[in-house]
Amino acid sequence: MIKVEHVTKKFVRNKTKREKEEFYADKDISFEAKKGEIIGILGPNGAGKTTLLRMIAGILEPTEGKITFDELDYKHNEIEIKQKIAYLSGNTKIYDTLSTYELLKMCCDIYGISKDESEKRIKEITDVLKIESFLYNKIANLSTGQTQKVNLARCLVHHPQYYILDEATTGLDIISSQIILNFIKEERDKGKTILYSTHYMEEAENICNRVIMINKGEIIKTGTPEEIKKDTNTTNLRDAFFTMIGGVSNEE
Amino acid sequence: MKNNLWNILKKELRELFRDKKSLAMMLIIPIFIPLLVIGMSALFEAQVSKDVSEYNKIGFAYEMSEIEKSIAEEMNIEIINGNEEELKQKYDEGEIDLYITKQDNKYVINTDGSDNSTFASGLMETYFNTYKQYLQQSYLQENSINPDEVLSIITVEENVLEQDNYFANYIKNYAFLFIMMAITVSATYPATDTTAGERERGTLETLLTFPIKSKDIIIGKFLGVTVSSIITGIISLILAIIALMVTKNMFSIYEGVDTMFSPITIIFAVIVIIAYSFFISGLCIAIASTSKTFKEAQSALTPLTFISFFPGMIAFMMGITTTPILSIVPFINFTLIFTDINNGTIDVWNILLMAISTIIYISLVFAYIIKQYKSEKVLFAK
Repeated sequence: MIKVEHVTKKFVRNKTKREKEEFYADKDISFEAKKGEIIGILGPNGAGKTTLLRMIAGILEPTEGKITFDELDYKHNEIEIKQKIAYLSGNTKIYDTLSTYELLKMCCDIYGISKDESEKRIKEITDVLKIESFLYNKIANLSTGQTQKVNLARCLVHHPQYYILDEATTGLDIISSQIILNFIKEERDKGKTILYSTHYMEEAENICNRVIMINKGEIIKTGTPEEIKKDTNTTNLRDAFFTMIGGVSNEE
Repeated sequence: MKNNLWNILKKELRELFRDKKSLAMMLIIPIFIPLLVIGMSALFEAQVSKDVSEYNKIGFAYEMSEIEKSIAEEMNIEIINGNEEELKQKYDEGEIDLYITKQDNKYVINTDGSDNSTFASGLMETYFNTYKQYLQQSYLQENSINPDEVLSIITVEENVLEQDNYFANYIKNYAFLFIMMAITVSATYPATDTTAGERERGTLETLLTFPIKSKDIIIGKFLGVTVSSIITGIISLILAIIALMVTKNMFSIYEGVDTMFSPITIIFAVIVIIAYSFFISGLCIAIASTSKTFKEAQSALTPLTFISFFPGMIAFMMGITTTPILSIVPFINFTLIFTDINNGTIDVWNILLMAISTIIYISLVFAYIIKQYKSEKVLFAK
């Protein structure tokens, strides 16, 4: 189980050329994600989704609060936690001077997977994600969709228990997106915990068990998609979101 | 898991050897060293072995005596007569190398200190010394005094204890300075690429999600850059030694100078190269990892190339020699010890001090970088 308790992230930014100011990317965020659950983290651009997921993935450190994975925290068990998680973002890049095979092999080595087991896992992943046609091609020469598939593939080599997926389908065509969404559902059915951030509300409605809506760094609503729609008296999550934030102003 | 340092080093080396720019920095820069050695040798050779016919056109703005003409002829001086203005014009037009004016018993050598004039001045000093000696001898003889008793009251002889060739040693020391500069240049690109470059490409975020300790990431990166620097240093050293061996047979300035390096000298030179490569790689990574972008990192690292070269050059020009204190001063210590090795005066104590101080400096740099990689600053810099 992933437990996020009162997590706050503060940054310093330039207000003017000389003046600086503190701002909260995330403020007092708390939730739990259990086994076999897909938790959707929803919100517009700049809502604080990426910062939150980066903190959960151990890339950023919370200013306040605590994040635990089955009672383990980053302060004392960073390596153990990172052995169990897979972090995939639409923004993060992979080493494009390597071929897909070399990247997967490198990841297997990093996760301490034996040589024979590595070959077996690479074969499995290649079959599941259908990447055999470009397994030995340099990543730099692949299309966006193919690259994202490779990115997903490298997350699978160590059989993670937790997936942290940040806008994983952004920029992908509908076929590539669907492959990833199907994969997420399959992993959920295997009992994995998945945190899935997106600003595509419809996508979240289809796959998420529960949804956490964030705006300006704060949670504005949590619940199942059905509960949220019912509470806001709307028919979809997009309308529910707008109802909660009181519509769109020019300032937004 | 335990081998993640090795995995990071493997990744770094693979990227290094696949990147054309890194390869070019690592392998092409050393080629400049033999070119510089040959170029400097040719330049000094031209200076030293200048033929007298290249600077013997001398203008005389007065009527020369027969004896003066005969000395000039003996010294292969080409006499050009004329008045002062005519000779000045000829001098300005480059037709003569200098001209002499005379007022009573005072002779003035008119020159501007340029290359040819300097040689011509030297020639004329010898000419006037010979003429002066002739006049002194004549005067003494006219007054019935034996010139030998007066002119040879004392005799001075030069006994060369050891053949020391300034130009050859100058080139040898500069060749070693260039090796240090080549190592610095070779370290800057991969250090920039593996820190600011990796951040800019977005792969650093991916790397930070792997179960790898910050310490392993940074040491892996550091070793990758160091390997590149050591390769450059060793290739540079080999090329410098070959260049010096070749130029010894080509130019007379190396006469009496041993350009063959003994195995011990080479081993110590390699030790200095390795120590300097570790030092400069750590420094480059520390500076580059605080830069926001690849460009900013490159700008921040550019002064290092000069810093690696100038203190050594100044110390060399001022004749500063290695002392225990100077052995622990970064940059200058490597150059001075390199010069010592080059001159065959190896002091193991100074080398030890240099090695210990380098380990301390690298440890400090490491502590700083590891701290940075543990915090999110590394993702966003500044």
